Amino acid sequence: MISRRLFLGAVAAAAVSGCTPDVLGLSRSVRVAVSWSGTELRAFHSVLDGLGDLEYPVEVVPLGDDISTAFGPRSARRPDIVMLPQPGLVPRHLRDLDPIPAELVDRNREPYWDELLVHDGTTYGLPFKTAHKSAIWYRPSVLKQVGAEPPRTWSEWLALNRSLSLAGIRPLALGAGDGWVLTDFLENVLLGSAPAAYRALAVADDPRPSQVSAFAAALRLLGTMWSAPGTLAGGVERSLVQQFPDAIVEVFGHHRAAMVLATDFAEPVVRSFAVDPADVGLFTFPALSRGAAPPVVVGGDVIVLPRPTTDDARDLVRRLAAPAAADPWIATGGFLADGRTTGYSPELTRLAEQLVAPGSSPQFDLSDRLGQLGDLNGLWRVLTDFLIRIGNRGSDVVPEAVESALAELKQVES
Amino acid sequence: MGLQTNGLSLEIVGREISGRPVPGKPRRPAGPYLLGLPALLLSSLLLIPVGITVVAAFRLPDGSFGLGNFAVMGDPEALHAVGNSLAWVGVALGLVVVGFLLAVVSYRLPGVSSFLQPALVIPFAVSVLVSGATFRLIFDPAPERGTVTAVSTALFGSSPVWLGPGLFWLVLVSAFGWTWLGYVVSLFRAGLDAIPDDVSRTVAAEGVTGLRRLRMLELPLLRPITGVVTLTLVIAAVRVFDLVLIVVPGPMQRDADVLGLNWWRATSTGGDPGRAAALGVVLFAIVAAVAVIGVRGLRRRRWAMPVSVVGADRSVRRPRPSRRSRRIGWTVGFAVGLVWVLPAIVLVATAFHSPREAGLRGWWSTAGLGLESFTDAANAGLFRALLSTLVIASIATVVVLVIAVPTAYLVAWGGLPTWLGRVVTSAFVVLAVTPVQMYAAPLRDAIGAAGLAGSRIALGLIHAAAGLPFAVLLLRSAFASAPPVLVAEALQGPARQSAVLATVQRTYRPALVAVAVLEFALVWNDFIVGFLISGSGTTPLSLVLWGEARQFSASSGTVAAAAVVASVVPVVLLLTFWRTVVRGLTVGGRR
Repeated sequence: MISRRLFLGAVAAAAVSGCTPDVLGLSRSVRVAVSWSGTELRAFHSVLDGLGDLEYPVEVVPLGDDISTAFGPRSARRPDIVMLPQPGLVPRHLRDLDPIPAELVDRNREPYWDELLVHDGTTYGLPFKTAHKSAIWYRPSVLKQVGAEPPRTWSEWLALNRSLSLAGIRPLALGAGDGWVLTDFLENVLLGSAPAAYRALAVADDPRPSQVSAFAAALRLLGTMWSAPGTLAGGVERSLVQQFPDAIVEVFGHHRAAMVLATDFAEPVVRSFAVDPADVGLFTFPALSRGAAPPVVVGGDVIVLPRPTTDDARDLVRRLAAPAAADPWIATGGFLADGRTTGYSPELTRLAEQLVAPGSSPQFDLSDRLGQLGDLNGLWRVLTDFLIRIGNRGSDVVPEAVESALAELKQVES
Repeated sequence: MGLQTNGLSLEIVGREISGRPVPGKPRRPAGPYLLGLPALLLSSLLLIPVGITVVAAFRLPDGSFGLGNFAVMGDPEALHAVGNSLAWVGVALGLVVVGFLLAVVSYRLPGVSSFLQPALVIPFAVSVLVSGATFRLIFDPAPERGTVTAVSTALFGSSPVWLGPGLFWLVLVSAFGWTWLGYVVSLFRAGLDAIPDDVSRTVAAEGVTGLRRLRMLELPLLRPITGVVTLTLVIAAVRVFDLVLIVVPGPMQRDADVLGLNWWRATSTGGDPGRAAALGVVLFAIVAAVAVIGVRGLRRRRWAMPVSVVGADRSVRRPRPSRRSRRIGWTVGFAVGLVWVLPAIVLVATAFHSPREAGLRGWWSTAGLGLESFTDAANAGLFRALLSTLVIASIATVVVLVIAVPTAYLVAWGGLPTWLGRVVTSAFVVLAVTPVQMYAAPLRDAIGAAGLAGSRIALGLIHAAAGLPFAVLLLRSAFASAPPVLVAEALQGPARQSAVLATVQRTYRPALVAVAVLEFALVWNDFIVGFLISGSGTTPLSLVLWGEARQFSASSGTVAAAAVVASVVPVVLLLTFWRTVVRGLTVGGRR
């Protein structure tokens, strides 16, 4: 009986002592909405910790895939700053955003950002983190086993897959549980095979993807790789239940596959689960045909200020925009800062250099720019169904599956 | 009982006269009505938003009223969701049957319950999110990590992908069953224990055994408890939401869609609010229909078992079972208990592995043991979340107790006219089962407009409002099952109401404890109210857990650690008070 009372007393005491305004949610903190979780979220916390003493409390709000709900009247607790993972949403939300503080506007940034972030001479967002979405992580030891080099063209890649499966090694782990893994794959193929069509889809609402023949052709190309029997580790069902970290573990932890299409931000996952840290390699997405430029798809997180903003929020943006602010995250790995090519691991340095290389013309993630069409119920779903229809079944089923995918897409478009 | 003599037909009323022996209508003082005022105010936190949602459901985009919004139900996806929700109701009913059979086994084979009881209470105490995460760990598709996959790979050389298309239902249903079976068994067991020994001995002496005994003795006597159990489970089944979110991998989510989730997607993708409201109303209609049917069956017995004022004589209790049946019972209980506690072991063992090791290998691995996962969870803001969850749960519990006691007193003994009492009770039954989807959207908007966004006090009050109906119903039946003599004495004596309250305090402790403990644990474990009303950005524990679980297997160590930390308080609380809680839920004021 006494112990029970003690317990209740302790609970009550803890409740009373915990009732600071902060815990009660009454004090005015700067709320930063992010889409990160896990390692990335912790890395962002370390970035905030490195900013020094702030005059206001900062609350990080992990919104995940719901990050686009951060704007507008429907949002419950409007954040003061959004680290928006879909820069393509900025042009759609200009009315909900305040401009970036003037002294930060003229900072150097890669020209491809301006198209999304600058409207009528006003800058609405600052790039915080760049994502290189054309990276393939692989185990060099496996390629050595079949006497192959990383592929430089799409057909070399298909040939490599064949020789790997012949040697009893599954070439590809696919994290189809995350819809963006599928869309990234398609975007790379489309950008590599028809850059002009990619641009056209990205900048205008017309024509829609299902009407573009290059889009159908890209689906067919993708279909030839995914449908080849023995290509996907664990088959379609396993692919569907694994998210991108699981796919990485399949390659580097459990050695059930040779390669995985992942981004630069997959680096910490790769490093922490690699059984042999020396057996980690990276190549960039190969060119679709000899002589064509290899595709470079980029994404990123931009800092935007929902309207109306506060002085504290502007101050935090200034601090986050400082070049050294991201250093703790860069040290953790898996972070590319816009325009910077030094201070990374060798693999990420290569990715960073490709982004600024004179010949390459990086394009933004298409699915972000298609709005709802590129979203959970649009392209994600269409590609998932496409994968289910063709996975492991051989190239014969591809033409029919492409037709169904286009029909499905058309339904979403209307 | 009727009697006929000399052309007269006499009927003998077989109950005590409880009214005042004075002719005419009793004078009803207005004072006690004030006791209901706080409950009315708190409940309007839900009633007004529910009203707004209903109006929105019938308002068409052009401002007129009609049934146009309900066309959303013709949508194949919505129909699919309704079908799945009904399938969940089937699962709930099946679980009631299984739980009843287990209770009968444990009743007839003493020794079972000593192992079974704690093993069954733990799952009930942890949140749906935690049990979902646990079962996702157990059924992980990698044979290095997933327990079931490892076992079936070892036995058959390969394993189905348990979380894959179709099979994920197995994982969902196991997690649901794991959570609720303890509750079902405990309540049925309490009901069986309350069957007077002389009755069961008489039945046994007449040679009635097996199924016949079940049909003649146990089923009819347990009807009230069956009602409570069925009601709770069906409502839980229709409300399934967070379980699907955490267990089912992204591409299969639409196969697993249920009404509650369909509603959430409709609102979060910025669809037409009228159609979302219509979905909410349909969900509400299903739950309310089930509740009304359930309560009609209950009305005669008023939730509670008859009270035996005099305890049974210990010397004439049930005969001590034979050594053999004790040994069988002991073995069965041990085996079932072990299986039942396994998920908890998996969770705790995973938490004590480093994140890397937990991502690579299963809970049985001996490498990488340590507290690293807990450190990681702490870095994700776990302790701040613990504190704010504690604040929210404490506010809700205190408010519920302070408001529910006078209200229940008013409904039970306040001298309300019969019709009003019935209306109030029905209103509370309907409110008790109202799904969050009915009031989330308007409340969220109102809270945002009032600048209270993120206030833990507001969230605590909403929880209190949502928990109040159940608390009032439970306390009312406890109060109403009081020995009438006791109440009459208290009411007519000079001390009047203070004496009644003293009686309440003395006699109805189990019900009060049950209300407090259950409310605290429910709020502590809540996901859906926090998620739908405060958005996924606020810090109650379950939301932090949800954020960590987004990349599931790669962060399974951290998820498990956060889940363990989040579960300690409710598990300790419920294990400590379980007997009292069950008594409070079943027998009202049995001492």
